[in-house]
Amino acid sequence: MVMVYQYIGVLIGIIGIIFTLLRFREGKMSLGMLLVWNIIWILIIIISIFPQSTGEFATLTGVGRGLDLIFILGIIGCYYLIFKIYNMIENIEQEITHLVREIALQRENIELKEDEENQN
Amino acid sequence: MLIETDKKPDSYKLFPESDLLIWMIIPAYNEEKFIGDVLERLFKMGLNLIVIDDGSRDNTYQIVQDLIKDHPGRGYLYQHPINRGLGATLKTGIEAALKKNADIMVTFDADGQHNPEDILPVCRPIIEGRADVVIGIRDFNEMPQHKKRSNQIMNLITRIFYNANVKDSQSGLRAFNYKAAKALDIESREYGVSSEIIREIKHKNLRMEEVPIETIYTDYSLSKGTNAKIGFKILVKMIREILR
Repeated sequence: MVMVYQYIGVLIGIIGIIFTLLRFREGKMSLGMLLVWNIIWILIIIISIFPQSTGEFATLTGVGRGLDLIFILGIIGCYYLIFKIYNMIENIEQEITHLVREIALQRENIELKEDEENQN
Repeated sequence: MLIETDKKPDSYKLFPESDLLIWMIIPAYNEEKFIGDVLERLFKMGLNLIVIDDGSRDNTYQIVQDLIKDHPGRGYLYQHPINRGLGATLKTGIEAALKKNADIMVTFDADGQHNPEDILPVCRPIIEGRADVVIGIRDFNEMPQHKKRSNQIMNLITRIFYNANVKDSQSGLRAFNYKAAKALDIESREYGVSSEIIREIKHKNLRMEEVPIETIYTDYSLSKGTNAKIGFKILVKMIREILR
């Protein structure tokens, strides 16, 4: 018997793949991230179609229940993403600081100079 | 309030015995209340000033600009279009001073907490060639309790993380010679910069001296600088740096 969540899972997976492909085509995603995300989406589709397969993986890893394994993997994945985003923001902050400092140095006494030019 | 001690004429030279070029580096963020007085006193002492406005939302920029107009060639104003923190501000100031071939750079807080009379003693070890960096040491016994505690914690943290033992790691009054300023590699954007400077002094094997300075406590200057919250933020940053 096919459960409702299986349809939803497959649907989410397909939508996910379409979105990542679109983002890759627009140049907003690197090839590496495209691969990572598509593997995640394909796994979701496979697990939705064959829910029993998680049970086998679970016994393989010793977790016990298939659903538990998915939860554990999901949480680890989320932490990894948070870490990545945190580092990205830190880099962006550094770049902004660099720009701001550069602008400040280039515009030394800018308004004073403008005043002088206006007077001349 | 600021203590009125400058009865000296405009021609008063800070160091008649030396012709080293000294630039004051003054970071300012929302300092409209006192920065005018502070800068005026420093100009009167014959010092050259570099002021960096770190994206203030008050009148700081305007006040400094008007003052600098009255002292052509002796003051430079830089503006961060958005607020980026003390570390970034000091970095901009040091870079600007290096471009002006400063022999000695002195960082000085804009909130009126330092006594300009302390600039000479802080510069002296550099002028006499004994040190590359001088840190002005505030008297912890005169500090209000909560300030004292957070500064002691910062000293401890600086010691644990950077293995550098100094009497006052968070002091805003410091002097660098050209070599030291050039060697400094500052990453920290915010208040952690003070500890980072101590780390750099140690890593780059710079000669350091510590000189006691006076601190003028006002309600205003007390509301700024290191407090427990900032201390905690600095701690988190240092842990991150180690994990990186």
